[in-house]
Order: sequence, then structure tokens, then C-alpha cells
Amino acid sequence: MNPFEKITAAATSGMRAQAQRLQVVSENIANVDTHGYKRKQVTFENVYDRSKDVSRVEIGRQFLDPKEGERIFDPSHPLADETGYVVMSNVNMMTEFADAREATRSYDAGLEVFRQARDMYTSLLDILKS
Amino acid sequence: MFTDLKILHTASLLARHSVQRHSLVAENIANADTPGYKAKDLEPFAEAFAKSERAQMDARASGFAQQAFHAQKIETGGIASPDGNTVSLEDQMTRSTASVRDHETALTVYSKALAMMRATLGNRG
Repeated sequence: MNPFEKITAAATSGMRAQAQRLQVVSENIANVDTHGYKRKQVTFENVYDRSKDVSRVEIGRQFLDPKEGERIFDPSHPLADETGYVVMSNVNMMTEFADAREATRSYDAGLEVFRQARDMYTSLLDILKS
Repeated sequence: MFTDLKILHTASLLARHSVQRHSLVAENIANADTPGYKAKDLEPFAEAFAKSERAQMDARASGFAQQAFHAQKIETGGIASPDGNTVSLEDQMTRSTASVRDHETALTVYSKALAMMRATLGNRG
């Protein structure tokens, strides 16, 4: 098994997982003002790929944050309950942005490893050419 | 025939070792947010090489078959985050740079050795 393929497989799986995580974060941010919305969370799972002898990462089960959203008193609101309260989403912008930043950072690290592997392979091929 | 030349053999071992190490770094970075994942690395080239040299010397003395070069996988340790993950991106970037540098060194030595051989052959190869 070509070890460069192992590097590519591992780095690509990491980047794909981080991109999916960023997608979920953007869904949460988009729904910050949706009443009763529960923020989605992703889990990462380590998967051993026997055919390539490499341990990749995959997005596991997604689940909803069970925390209750903030309740705001607004009797004139069409979604208000009989006591006059409206339930907001439980999305915290600060948490989402921190999550997005972490995903970007991990994605960049994966990309850098991918670039390094490519450069190493190129210099290996250069010996063959010379 | 040319792998019998010690310098080419050692250089190719180092190149192979550094790429294997780099692939472990790629796995670690991919699993940077996986709960409970332990960061892995290969044992340093110098140690693995010394071990295989010693094994080969023993093999020659006893007449048994030679042992191939093999570097053990080790866990790097370090501080675990609350979910049990021990990958630190900064540490991994240092390790990946080190393995790229090792690879570059090995390839340079390899191509220079080839150039020297060409020079002795009258620069026709």
C-alpha cells in the first residue's frame, strides 16, 4: 500500500468531517431566530479502514441539544402560549462561532498535511526524472 | 544491486520511515476532535535503525535470517482534553514538519549519492 495514499485518505476524511461540522454550525446560526429550534450537534468517530490500513474519521450520530430555549414575555406574538410567553431557539452565537473557528482550524491543519504529502511525493518523483 | 550500497539503503529507509510517520500525523489531525482518541507516532528513526543494525549483527553471528527494519508505533502521550483526546494540533504540525524535513534529507542524500556514482562512471549514466 502506497503510504502517500494513506496520508491522502486520512487527511481527506478529516477535512470532510470538519466541513460537515461547519455545515451543521451554519444551520444552527441560520436558525438562531427560529422559535423552539434546538441546536444540532455532531459527533466524531474513529473508523479503522482495513483495506487501506489507516484510521479515518467519520461523522457519527447527530443529536439535538436538549437545553430549553429562552422564554420571552410577548403576549401579542402569534406563537405565544396561554401565559403570553414565546420560546426562542437555544442557539448561542458565541458557542457557534467558537465551534466554527475550531472546525476551520482543524480543516486548515488537514489541508496543510495534504500539501506537505503532495510536495514530498513530487520530490520523490523528481529523483525518478533526474 | 544498488540497494546493497549502504548509503542508498539507509536513505531509502529514512524516506520510508518519514512518510509512514507523516501518515500517522495525518490520522492524528483527522481525529483531532474524536473523543477518546490517543495521538500516535513512530519511534524515532535513529532508535529503530540502531535496533535493526544490532539485530542484523546478531543474525550474522548466529547464522539466522536477517531481520527487516521496523519502527514501532508509540503513543505520544501529552495532556488529554476533557473528552480523553490527546491530539494537539500545534504538536502535530511540528511533527509533520520534522517528517517532511527528514524526507527531504533522505531524498537529497539519495540523489547526491546517485550523482556521485554517475560522476565515477564518466557522467554518461
